Amino acid sequence: MSAGQSGSGNVFTHLLEELGDHHGFYIGPHKVLDLPVILWDEGRLHLYPSTKAMEAAGLYRMVEGKIVRSSTGAPPALDLSITNLVAYQWLGMLLLGIVLWRSVRRYRRNPLAPPRGLQNAIEAIALFVRDSIVRPNISNERLGNRLLPYFLTLFFFILVLNLLGLLPGGHTATGNLAVTGVLAAIAFLVINGGALVTIGPKAWLRHLLGGGPLWLSPILVPIEIIGMFAKAFALCVRLFANMVAGHTALLSLVGLIFFFGTVLIAPISVAFSVFVYFLETLVAFLQAYIFTILTAVFLGLASEHHEH
Amino acid sequence: MELGLAWLAAGIGVGISVLGAGTGIGRLGAAALEAASRQPETAAETRTLMLIAAALIEGIALIACIVCILLAVKSA
Repeated sequence: MSAGQSGSGNVFTHLLEELGDHHGFYIGPHKVLDLPVILWDEGRLHLYPSTKAMEAAGLYRMVEGKIVRSSTGAPPALDLSITNLVAYQWLGMLLLGIVLWRSVRRYRRNPLAPPRGLQNAIEAIALFVRDSIVRPNISNERLGNRLLPYFLTLFFFILVLNLLGLLPGGHTATGNLAVTGVLAAIAFLVINGGALVTIGPKAWLRHLLGGGPLWLSPILVPIEIIGMFAKAFALCVRLFANMVAGHTALLSLVGLIFFFGTVLIAPISVAFSVFVYFLETLVAFLQAYIFTILTAVFLGLASEHHEH
Repeated sequence: MELGLAWLAAGIGVGISVLGAGTGIGRLGAAALEAASRQPETAAETRTLMLIAAALIEGIALIACIVCILLAVKSA
């Protein structure tokens, strides 16, 4: 293979490992805090304050960043540890909680006062979500109003996680398939639950026919059922891949400096990195918008009464 | 040999899927620009529709890329 894989120990794969999940709270490469390890294995719960304490206890050890049983080398049945990305999600929730709670409190106390400071931004985004994402796409006004808190939460949560990942030293929780998978699973439940509640099970089942005649049902029903899951799957993969792709591009550009082992390449790398960084800032907003609006569009489509 | 074929397939596959997605987004962007310049008053609505369609095209391309990545990291 190339010189990079044998000589310099492949800086790219090393950098890419930084994108994954870790058993400690990291800011950049610096470990700030040990995070607890929670394992469910062989019918009982194992709790350790950190990976070091876990290795000291002897039952489990770390092999290449993964927890395995010391005796057999097999991974534990269920790893429920509080990891780096979980910590970043909590950080995001905390930030959102503080910022949003302050704005909401001001509105509660003084509904007619003009918004101040950060409240302006919150109000603009909230109005944007209501007026150009939820209302135009969900024709049933009652359903739209009842689900508005969900869409607002979704937008703000994805946005703050994307932006936290762009802070120097930050980690992107939305760049993990488990996180986006759960977001997509919730979206799936909201889309189908909202449709079932609004148009009733009978009309929901008729949607599975896709508007075709009954004799086409052996073909259309499987397609519609696959489509239902494909929508959620695409939501999950889209957010994940967009966040990872940007970071990979950034890391590859920075990695080029180490790969060639010369400073001369640095100006080019840095210039392109800055460009990609701004692009990623755009993508952070865009993907929060896309995830929210696609959920709204799918819900709108599923909860309409069509004249078949 | 088999591993080499998987890498080859991944490389060709990602190229073809990017070609498809690029064509799709290019045509979409051209059509949206045309619509927006013909009827500037509906430009905002056109942009929203364009973004949704672009996201759907992108979704297909990303799923194709995931298949290619699975081929590329194939170890057996």
